[in-house]
Order: sequence, then C-alpha cells, then structure tokens
Amino acid sequence: MKGSAGPPAGPPAPPYDPVELAAAILACLPDMSPLRLHALLERGGGPVGALAALDRGIAAAVLCSDAPERELPARQTLARTWQEGATLDRITRVLVERHPHVFVAGRAGYPIDELPDRPAVLLAEGARPDALHAPRVAVVGTRGATPQGLDDARDLGRVLAEAGVTVISGLAIGIDAAAHEGALSVGGAVIGVVATGLDVVYPRRHRALFERVRSAGLLMSEVGYGVQPRRYAFPIRNRIIAALAQVVVVVEATLKGGARITAERAVEYGRTVMAYPGSRRNPAAAGTNALLYDGAGVVLEPSDVLVALELERPAPRPDLRTAPVGEARAVLHACHGEPATLDQLASRAGLAPAAVVAAVRALERGGWMERARGLCWPR
Amino acid sequence: MLAAVRSATLIGVDGQPVTVEVHVSSGLPAYQVVGLPDAAVRESRERVRAAVLSSGFEWPMRRITVNLAPGGIRKSGSGLELAVALGVLGANDALPAGVLDGVAVLGELGLDGSVRAVPGTLALVDALARAGVECVVVPALNASEAALVGGVRVRAARTLGELRACLKGEEPWPDWDPPPDVPGDSDSSIAGDDELVDLGDVRGLPFARSALEVAAAGGHHLLFCGPPGTGKTMLARRLATILPPLTHREALEVTRIHSAAGEPVTGRLLARRPFRAPHHTASTAALVGGGSGRARPGEITLAHRGVLFLDELGEFAPTALDALRQPLEERSVRISRQPVSLTFPAGFQLVACSNPCPCGAGAQGCRCSDAQRERYRRRLSAPLLDRFDLRVRVDAPESVDVRGESSASVAERVAAAYERQCARYADWPWSQNAHVAAGAVPRLLPLGPDADDAWRALIAERILTGRGATRIRRVARTLADLDDASAIAVEHLDGAALLRSDVP
Repeated sequence: MKGSAGPPAGPPAPPYDPVELAAAILACLPDMSPLRLHALLERGGGPVGALAALDRGIAAAVLCSDAPERELPARQTLARTWQEGATLDRITRVLVERHPHVFVAGRAGYPIDELPDRPAVLLAEGARPDALHAPRVAVVGTRGATPQGLDDARDLGRVLAEAGVTVISGLAIGIDAAAHEGALSVGGAVIGVVATGLDVVYPRRHRALFERVRSAGLLMSEVGYGVQPRRYAFPIRNRIIAALAQVVVVVEATLKGGARITAERAVEYGRTVMAYPGSRRNPAAAGTNALLYDGAGVVLEPSDVLVALELERPAPRPDLRTAPVGEARAVLHACHGEPATLDQLASRAGLAPAAVVAAVRALERGGWMERARGLCWPR
Repeated sequence: MLAAVRSATLIGVDGQPVTVEVHVSSGLPAYQVVGLPDAAVRESRERVRAAVLSSGFEWPMRRITVNLAPGGIRKSGSGLELAVALGVLGANDALPAGVLDGVAVLGELGLDGSVRAVPGTLALVDALARAGVECVVVPALNASEAALVGGVRVRAARTLGELRACLKGEEPWPDWDPPPDVPGDSDSSIAGDDELVDLGDVRGLPFARSALEVAAAGGHHLLFCGPPGTGKTMLARRLATILPPLTHREALEVTRIHSAAGEPVTGRLLARRPFRAPHHTASTAALVGGGSGRARPGEITLAHRGVLFLDELGEFAPTALDALRQPLEERSVRISRQPVSLTFPAGFQLVACSNPCPCGAGAQGCRCSDAQRERYRRRLSAPLLDRFDLRVRVDAPESVDVRGESSASVAERVAAAYERQCARYADWPWSQNAHVAAGAVPRLLPLGPDADDAWRALIAERILTGRGATRIRRVARTLADLDDASAIAVEHLDGAALLRSDVP
C-alpha cells in the first residue's frame, strides 16, 4: 500500500439512483481501464445493462465481442473475475462505506462536455462539490520546479482563488502542489485529479495536502478504490485535468514531461492553453517556452489568466517587502534576475565573501532571495 | 631438541607477536606445521628447507614439528619463514643456546638462503616492541622502516648464513642503507605532480576556496557540486596542499597502516596526510575493507588521518556509498569474519564532487527529464548527503576573476587554526571541530553574545535536522578559529549556513 486515507468529512453525496450505482460498481471493477469500461457500456447498453450482463454471466460475450486481438485473453480472464459475486459484493460494500460522488457521462451534473475520450464515470470525494460550478483553471507543471516557478504557481493559485476560480491540479510534487497551496491559503476551492484510487495517497508526503483538498474541494479519479500508482496511469489522468478546465496554465515544464501532455490534450479539447515564459537557460522553462512558441497565451502576471476567463482584473497587490539597500541591493542586482552561485555574486558585485554572506542573509530574511540547489534565487 | 623463536604476524593492520616452536624428534622424516597456518605459511616448508640446505647447514632427517603460538589466531604471510629456519637450526644444535633470548625475527626466505622483505614490518615491529622484545632481526630492506618504531634494537639480515654467523658473534652485524633522500614521494596518490599543484592556479571561486580552507582546518566532510569542467576536481585535489601537518604520532600510525596494507613505504615516516582517490568503479570491499580471503583494509583505512576523495560521487555504486555511512560516524570500521572480527581505523575526511544531474549542466541549460534528475538525486541517499558539513555549488568562474591566494599562505592559516583546536581539545579524544561529539557541542562551542538570536533564527527558518544544526555549529567554530575569534559570532553562523546548501 502506498498509504490510504479515510472517507471525507462534509456533506455526503446524494443517494445513488440505479444508473449511478451500476456505473460506480463498473468503474471499481479490478483492472478496469477506460477502453474496457467503454466497451462494456457500449455493448451492454449503459451501466445498468452492463451490470446485468455481468450478473447473468455473459460478461465475456459482451466484453470480447469486438475486442482487439491481443486484448482478448486478458478480457476473457477479467470477465470471469468480474462475474464473481464476491467481487461485486466487495465493491458494493466499499461504495456504501465511502459513498463517493458519482458522475456519469451524459447525465446531469457530469462536469465535462462532449469529448471523444472523456471518462465514462468519475468518482469524487470531498466537502465542496460546488467547486465544479465555478470557472475552472488547471495549473500544472514540472515536479522539478525552480523556487521561482513554485513562487509563481503559489501566486497564481492565490489570485485565481481570490477571484472565485476553482484551481484544478494533479497533486504532484512541485508546481501542482504549489498551485493548490496558494489557492488553499486564501480559502479557495480546489480539485485534485488523481491517477490512483481515491483511498490511496500518492505521493505519500502529500498526505496533509490531500486532506486539505478533501475539505476544501474535491478529489477526483476515474479508477476504482485501491488502485495503486502505476507509471502509465499519469498521462491518462492528465486528459481529465485538461478536460475539466476552461484554461490550462503551465507554469514550468521540461521538454518531455507530464505537463506537456496535459497541454497537448487541452489543445485537442479546444481549451485555452497559457504558459509562463522563462529563461532559455532554465531547463524547467524549456517546455513552457516551447508552448509559447507554438502559440500558447503568455502569462506575465497571474491576472492575465483572469482576463482570459473574461473576468475582471483585480487591483495589483502592493509589494510589502522593504527594499534592500547598500550591499544587499548590489548583490540582488548581481543576480540579473536569474539564479547565481555565491561565487558569481561575489565576483559580479565585487564584494568580499564575508560581505556577500551578510548581504545574502539579509536578502533571505527580507524575502528577496531564496537559496536552493546550491544557488541563490532572486524572487 | 626444542627451540623457540619469537616473530610476528599481521592481523588486519596490527601486528600480533607469535612464538615459533620447533621440535625435532626421532621418527620418520616429516615436517608438520600446526597452529592455524594459512596456505602461504604451510607452503613455506619447501623454502625453509631449500634455504637451510643452500646455506650449507644440515636439514635434520627426522620428525620436525613447527608450532605457531598462540594457537587460536590465524597466521598469514611468509614473514615467519626466517624464524622457522632459525628454529630448525636451534633445535638441531646449530645455534648456541641463548642467542635468541629477547630477540624477534622477521623475514621471508629465498631458496638460496637470502632474506627477503616482508610487508607490514612497521606494524610487526611495533607490536613486538610493545610485547617487550629488545632486539628485532628484520630483512635489510625493511631495517630503516623497523627503526622508525624506536625503543628497540634493529638488526638487518641479508642471508641466513650471514645471520647465523652474526648471532654466533663470528661476524659483525651488517649496516643497513639509510632510506633514500627523496621526501614526500610516498603519497602515491598525488605523487608526481605535488610540486605543480597549487591553490594559486584556481581563478575566482572565493566561496569554494573558503570551503576548502574550512574543510582543511576543521576536518569537515566536503561536497562540491556543479557542472563538469568548472574546477571542482581541480579544487578538491588541491586540498592535499593545505592540510595541517601530521604529528609524529599520527605519522607513525599512518605509516604503520600503509606498511601493513602492503603500500610502498620507503623507510621514512609519511610526511603528509594521505590523499586517496579511488575510481568510481571501486567495490564496497575496496572502499571499506574486507574482501575474500584475508580481510584487507580498504581505501577508507588507507585514508585514515587524511582525505578520501570521491570524484563523480553519483557514479559510485549506491551500496558502496551507503557502506561509508557507519565508518563516517564511528571513524573506524568493523569487518566481521569467521572466526575473528577486525576493527580498522577509518578516521578519514570525505571530500566528494558530484554533477547536479546526469547531463551535468545543472539549473542552466540542462536537458534531463524530471524522472532522470529524480533518479540521479536518489542515488545519493539523503543520510549520506546529510553527513557533509560543507556542501558548495561550484560554477565556472566569471571572466573577470583572477588567480587566487597560493597554497602556502592558506596552509599557514589552516595550521594556525588547527593548533587552536588542538589546544582547545587537549583533554578530549579528538583534535578537530568536525569531530566534537554532538553532546559536547553546546558546551565546547559556545555562541558569542550576539549570536544566540541568530542561531535560533537559523534553526527556525531552515527546517534543520538536529544533526544539521550541529554540523553548522561545528563549521561556524572552524570559521571562528580561522578568524582567531574566541566565540562564534553571527557572521560565522551565517557563513556556515551558506556553506551548507542543499545540493544537488
């Protein structure tokens, strides 16, 4: 187990109607995949029909009728498992116990518009189902973000939340978490879309964040309870993030990373994609710069995203930090806005190491500089 | 028909006195060695017999039993052969009684009766001297090495025949050659270019240089991290030129270890602290000691009281690096073997270089994926990274930078700071700031009047592990020692905090 979490506090989901219950049970079947679920629903004539087919013991016929050749053996085995009464009983018990919100494609309340590969069923836990009714913006990016990128993500999350926008992200380390933290810090609504079961916490160090997301928003997934993280599941999950949002903002991304996949999906779905420009020397900005080159919207400040949502631009927040003076100012200036080593700062500012030490410490205390990865990052 | 000759064998890097008893009795001609001999000792029989015959003595055609006492310890190597040969001569009445009283004998024999050098002479003679032996007979090639021990008379042996004559008083003892007059060339790892290497070669990088100076003065473990070609290795290699000098006792200890490990020892004490730089393909056993057969000291033991330099830290096997953690804390390593376990000293200073990511470019211009970087980072386990007191990012110097201070003037400051520490820790079992026990840190490394608040702020703002805070305080003390300050001031704490950044 990668860690598990208890059911959410807050208003319970409404009682299920037969279609929702059937859909939830089907989504929670072991080794279910979007394609298999689609096949089952298509051939079975909707969730209720598909579940009845399992009950009648003709799952194999339904599931395998036009499956691709190499999928056949797996589906035949699965059909046998799925027909077992014990499997169905176990799933029903978990659903009764945790009682997640169930969204079924094509029915009222389903949050995603008509898209070819949208999930047939979405499960959600959390205290704020109303997070789905606000404008929604996805904030995504690399796990190896720079301190500056994390700052930007936090800031964007906060500004969006203050404007009443729901922040969607993937709860990964780095940009994802920073965006949610920013939104949560001002009491905003958030949606975390996970690639595991809703009872699994991954990455484990985000346990506290998961709980905050549950109580201030929704945790969503298309896979059943108990599903552990698998490498291939994350890009598949990213399509849901793109589909749920009106605007997808990439704060920092490498050339080959999950955030690029989210952005590509968003373009496919006709969503607005925006990105933060970065230094051409910053590997964590290579992906975003490439997006901008391909025509993504430029985010120079967080409110640019609100403008894209046709919301009002808020008044700029005053910088409350005390401006650095003397040698500290010289050292900050010597960064040229980019990370630098202590040695580089000393050379450029023409200061003795002891003076640089004092200046960097003063800048750190004043919130003008952050040290990470052995470098000094101006902020 | 019994003779006993004292000799010694190596256990790990220490000598162990051995008494060689030879008994010659009537019976069918036979030769038996008892008392846990290893294969090399057992096969010495042919060499001993040939040497005795070649030297013109009679080999008794009777039953010969050689006993190596104490019986519970495994004897290894060929250094006991000369003692066995003398024992055979003694038991055969070819030596006057009493000439071997208080005398110990070391040496390997050639078939022609010549006496050959044995490894670890220094450790063996040291152990014999402690056991109360007054005079040692060693191979002529090892005589000057044996003389380093002091307090014991050293006699050189060139051939078995000559040795017998000397023992009988028929010939004067031969003189031995004094050691060659080239100082310092025994530190094999930096041999050749010591004269050419100087800190003055390094342009700019004031903080990296300061980290090197602090490491040398306080004995702190140091990690340089940065893109390739920025001078990390160049800097680290120059650490050897500024380390504080060895005291006589330390030099003796280091030379003894190197001699026992079979490293070339010229017959002089090592003049400089060892600087060992194993390649990153080194196995765990090569690093920490052990190996199959006789447990051998590893690089960390050869780096005792010196520096273990690991270039490309991320390329070493993770298991080998993790094996370093315990010796780093305990300053010794225990190799457990059936039937004995050995403890090797391992009081080394770890200096390492690492790239920030597989492609090496770091924050600027790197094209590694998140996953690649994460994997690379995970190779360097957090507990190992935590043990570096100094972690410094090194990037290429700016174009305006000029050549820095020379090694000689840095070494002067280092030596002065080292003496201050030795004086402060005179009553403690350590001599450098880096080794102050964590429990003694608050008492022995007090903060100056203004530094209390800065210390608390530092702990509050960085989420320091207890170990991290202690390490910063030790480094701050070294900075204060380099400043000749009596208490740790704010600037020392700040400097220490900045020299321990979260790389890679």
